[in-house]
Amino acid sequence: MTEVKAELVGNVWKVKTSPGAQVAEEEELLILESMKMEIPVTAPRAGTVREVRVKEGEVVKEGQVLVVLE
Amino acid sequence: MNDDFDARVADLKARRQRNLAMGGEEKIAKQHERGKLTARERIDLLFDAGTFVELGLLAQNRDGSDTAPADGVVTGHGDVDGRQVWVIAYDFTVMAGSMGAVGEQFKAARVRELALRYRKPIVWLLDSAGARIQEASGSTFAGTGWLFADQVVMSGVIPQVAAMLGPCAAGTAYIPGLADFVPMVKGTSSMALGGARLVKAATGEEVTDHDMGGSQVHCYESGVGDNEVANDADCIATVRRFLSYLPSSNTEATPVVETGDPADRPVEGLDKIVPANPRAAYDVRRVIRAVFDGESWFEVKPAWAKNIVIGFARAGGQAVGIVANQPMHKGGVLDSDAADKAARFIRMCDAFNVPLVYLMDVPGFMVGSQVEKDGIIRHGAKMLYATAEATVPKVTVIMRKAYGAGYYVMNGKGYQPDTIVAWPFAEISVMGPEGAVNIIFNKQVEASDNPEATRAELVAKIRESINPYLAAGWAMIDDVIDPAETRRVIVKSLEQARDKKIDRPWRKHGNIPV
Repeated sequence: MTEVKAELVGNVWKVKTSPGAQVAEEEELLILESMKMEIPVTAPRAGTVREVRVKEGEVVKEGQVLVVLE
Repeated sequence: MNDDFDARVADLKARRQRNLAMGGEEKIAKQHERGKLTARERIDLLFDAGTFVELGLLAQNRDGSDTAPADGVVTGHGDVDGRQVWVIAYDFTVMAGSMGAVGEQFKAARVRELALRYRKPIVWLLDSAGARIQEASGSTFAGTGWLFADQVVMSGVIPQVAAMLGPCAAGTAYIPGLADFVPMVKGTSSMALGGARLVKAATGEEVTDHDMGGSQVHCYESGVGDNEVANDADCIATVRRFLSYLPSSNTEATPVVETGDPADRPVEGLDKIVPANPRAAYDVRRVIRAVFDGESWFEVKPAWAKNIVIGFARAGGQAVGIVANQPMHKGGVLDSDAADKAARFIRMCDAFNVPLVYLMDVPGFMVGSQVEKDGIIRHGAKMLYATAEATVPKVTVIMRKAYGAGYYVMNGKGYQPDTIVAWPFAEISVMGPEGAVNIIFNKQVEASDNPEATRAELVAKIRESINPYLAAGWAMIDDVIDPAETRRVIVKSLEQARDKKIDRPWRKHGNIPV
């Protein structure tokens, strides 16, 4: 199991995956919005999305778990 | 016939042979089983063929016994691409490469002394259990440790490389801690102020040397290591590559290498790399590869603080140090680690006469409660200080975003760039239009019958004033350029600044925030 965390504080702008999805390494899971930038959050490895723990529009903290891969 | 003469020469040869055999066949086989090369095999890879000159081959254990051939460290000099470099290579096959009195106080010390005397780079090939405790566990410890003071004296005078090819425990971890470049072999190398057994005794924590101080820690999390490499041969090749961009000492210019890449080559394909949407991310390393000479890009610390990219490349053959914001990670925002990473690199380049090229696309320094707890002002000040302090030629290309103090530390106008230019879509401003409206026009927006419409109107108005022609119109920047001209502008700027000389007021030294 791999927890994908926010690397900085920001808004969840777009969620681009859902539970059960098969993802490749480097595939975009969601996009954060922070500091005037759209910041892609990508899969650190290939796997299946087990959980998406955030919703669009939600503010996340640095280090907060966004997606769980297995 | 002079029997005595011949016998004595034969005796010499036998003594040499014994020490060249290192810790013996069994220990060498074990070293190879671990995926490691011996100290002498590493030296053969480091130096141009046949150029190694060994000093101290006949050294032995301080008790006079033959238990430690060469006292566990191979020392001398040789050529790297035809230039003299000094080496201290710990021999793990001899008492686990432990640092003995003879090896440290006489052999390694002599290499440090001579490298500095001749102003030549020094390379440590580290694979050592640390101090030889049998010799060092009493209070004669009082006389040790000056090797680090030597390193500090050498700092900024000769390049220092600490190649991590095995363990490097305890105080000796300050060798890489003070070095200019620290490649680490994945899996076999580690460094820690206290090795696993000492940690267990001191704190009770159970951890392995690898888990505590392997490349997965130091090249990814701590930033103590620079580049993770796959094996010993890759590590040595990386050391040679690093040295190729640096002069032998701070009194020389950087070597120029003919790369065959035309100085005036228009840079193709940037429109496909840099997105039109100013909020969208891209990999700035693709811009670097497109702009600079052929295969010359050599990234340093690629896996740590990835929101800033640093490394060496060549522009028309001239070695340069590149500092580039990386929109692909954290949107390219600057934080404490990014500022530390850039500051140290900028100071290394400045110390060794390597011109700096800043490729700017920075949304600013990260803001908020977390980064203030991290001490971002203290860390950000290091990068500010390093950029202001640097007197090598400095070229700034504002590609896209240039916001707030991010613009300053990326060598903005106030930091004496030799050339500062912007691409046509550059956004130079103290902050983005939304932030500015919230601060400047907060009351006006609140008082409006239609706050959102008023806000949008004001944002649009401010956005109009964020364009590079305003800065160019004031001649605060030297030019606005077609991105395709970027390479030519950089090469020409480096030529323009070749005879740069800046005199500053005398001082003992500044007080850089640390």
